[in-house]
Amino acid sequence: MTSTAITEQSNIASAKEMLDKLVDRRVLASLEVCVRCGICTESCHYYRSNPKTEHTPYYRAEQVRRVYRQFLDPVGRTFPGWFGAKATTDEALSKLAEIAFASCTLCHRCTFECPFGVETAEIMRVMRSVATATGHAPEMLVELANAAIAKGENPDFFRDFYIEQVKELEREVQDRLGSSKAQIPVGQEGARILYVPLSGAHTIVPQAILFNVARESWTLSMFETANYAVFLSDLPKARRIVERIIKEAELLKVKEIVITECGHGYPAMRWDAPKWFGHTFPFRIRSILEVLDEYVRKGRLPLNQGQNGEPITYHDSCNLGRKGGLYEEPRCIIRAVASDFREMTPNRIHSFCCGAGSGLVAVPEWTDIRLQAGKLKADQIRRTGAKIVITSCDNCRYQIGELNEHYGLNIEVTSISELTAKALA
Amino acid sequence: MSTFEMVAAGLALVGAVIFAAGVIAILIATQRRPYNAELAPIKGSPAQGVLWAFTLGMAPWAKESGRIHWIAYIRGVIVHLGIFVGAAYLIATPWLAQMPEPLRFSLAALFVVGTLLGLAGFWIRMADPTMRLLSTPDDYCSLALVTLFLASAAMSAYTMKYLPAFWAISGITMAYTPFGKLRHFIYFFYDRVFLGLAFGRRNALK
Repeated sequence: MTSTAITEQSNIASAKEMLDKLVDRRVLASLEVCVRCGICTESCHYYRSNPKTEHTPYYRAEQVRRVYRQFLDPVGRTFPGWFGAKATTDEALSKLAEIAFASCTLCHRCTFECPFGVETAEIMRVMRSVATATGHAPEMLVELANAAIAKGENPDFFRDFYIEQVKELEREVQDRLGSSKAQIPVGQEGARILYVPLSGAHTIVPQAILFNVARESWTLSMFETANYAVFLSDLPKARRIVERIIKEAELLKVKEIVITECGHGYPAMRWDAPKWFGHTFPFRIRSILEVLDEYVRKGRLPLNQGQNGEPITYHDSCNLGRKGGLYEEPRCIIRAVASDFREMTPNRIHSFCCGAGSGLVAVPEWTDIRLQAGKLKADQIRRTGAKIVITSCDNCRYQIGELNEHYGLNIEVTSISELTAKALA
Repeated sequence: MSTFEMVAAGLALVGAVIFAAGVIAILIATQRRPYNAELAPIKGSPAQGVLWAFTLGMAPWAKESGRIHWIAYIRGVIVHLGIFVGAAYLIATPWLAQMPEPLRFSLAALFVVGTLLGLAGFWIRMADPTMRLLSTPDDYCSLALVTLFLASAAMSAYTMKYLPAFWAISGITMAYTPFGKLRHFIYFFYDRVFLGLAFGRRNALK
């Protein structure tokens, strides 16, 4: 047997093992309940932007379902031709990986348009795990996940450089607030909030301004909330990336972890991490949106709507909205800080993905795919007549910024935190 | 009871036994799969989520897909209604002679509509290129069985002489159900419950 054949056999065995391990009752129900009625077809932004068979949710799910029938369904394995079971090769796994990573953003929109509620995103998530375990995941995502783990293993190596950079940002905060007392504390034990940013000043400076104005007891995390292992559906790695922040929170004895405006980071920490660890945590986990909403409701921020007079619209990130339940918090903040808010249609649970979710934005060779898939979002934005688009996910923000250039939308893309900081009276 | 009637009734009974055993086997196999319970502190209400999943979450008018595919939706609802009523009718058939005629004829009318819409399912499945590509022999067989089930139910409700044919077809359909696509009726309940629990907990069902 050649080494290629041995590798192929080993990959197929790994695929079967992973599938068997990851098909829980919820995924099994989604695999079994689909009747291939095609009603989900137009629910997908890929299909709406480029209508072809491969872009229908039920086509994607069916490709995985056929492998499941071969591996795990005794009836399907016995009568493969009758029930559509399909023997798997390494090449087929590679194709399935491409479907799971590049043709589905795990946005879950089709689930709510399906008469049965088939969770194609959960099926694709399992397929991503299988692809990762068999070496078919995008290299870029693997490297980014590994880099985050390496940082968690060697925090002292980064600490001094990081603190030096934060000091520069602190000066910027002091300049913008006109107060030398404004601070960006790092590693402050006993602070009430551990705020976890992303890499980039835009997820530190405006939030620091708002925390200082609200006189919040807070400290900045050493780590960023981005978790590329979530996109890979590599749960052991995703857990290790989250663990860095959990340990930091325990060490600093904070009451609450607050996640920056990050689409996947918030649900990973808030909703998934307790499952990965098998228990809840001794501190609360919230999104910065929930914190700012609370500040607005309690009047902790002096705000002037007049500072944001341009027409503004809000893009519901799939992870924060449909999968995170944060619909009203961002809207409450926007209404308090801007005078001309216009809803996109459809919105909330029916909102369309921007086209870059679940890691697409991180892989350069998929740029054309995501720009095409984002056409629907570009059209939606254009219809609102808004000049400013707010989104609370960094990937959505990057994508909408690129859609702006690609489709000539003539808009500015910003975050709730920045908009709120701008509205400070 | 004629020999033909006895064979038909026997087929229905054997089918019912296979159906029951198959459903139990599916339930056991499903329960053996891991269940990754949500552990995060609740933001919304899982119970209300489940309620939503079985009510508004299924309402065609609340979905964009329901507005786009309203014919397919109505077809699906009537066919499934026909099947559920047909199952109840099957249980009642030993006492069919006592059933009031207007009720029998009303049931026959419902089953006729179900049959016609079942036949329409073949046309829909074959006319759409994606559905045609993804359809398996099991899809067509399952559709054929439920269409025959509804047609024979209609005939037997109209005139009792077709009752043995209805029993025989019911037996075959029940025996096939646990093996093919028709078993989706079991997973439907799982799927809706999981959906309601997960998204209700997150307060995302708005």
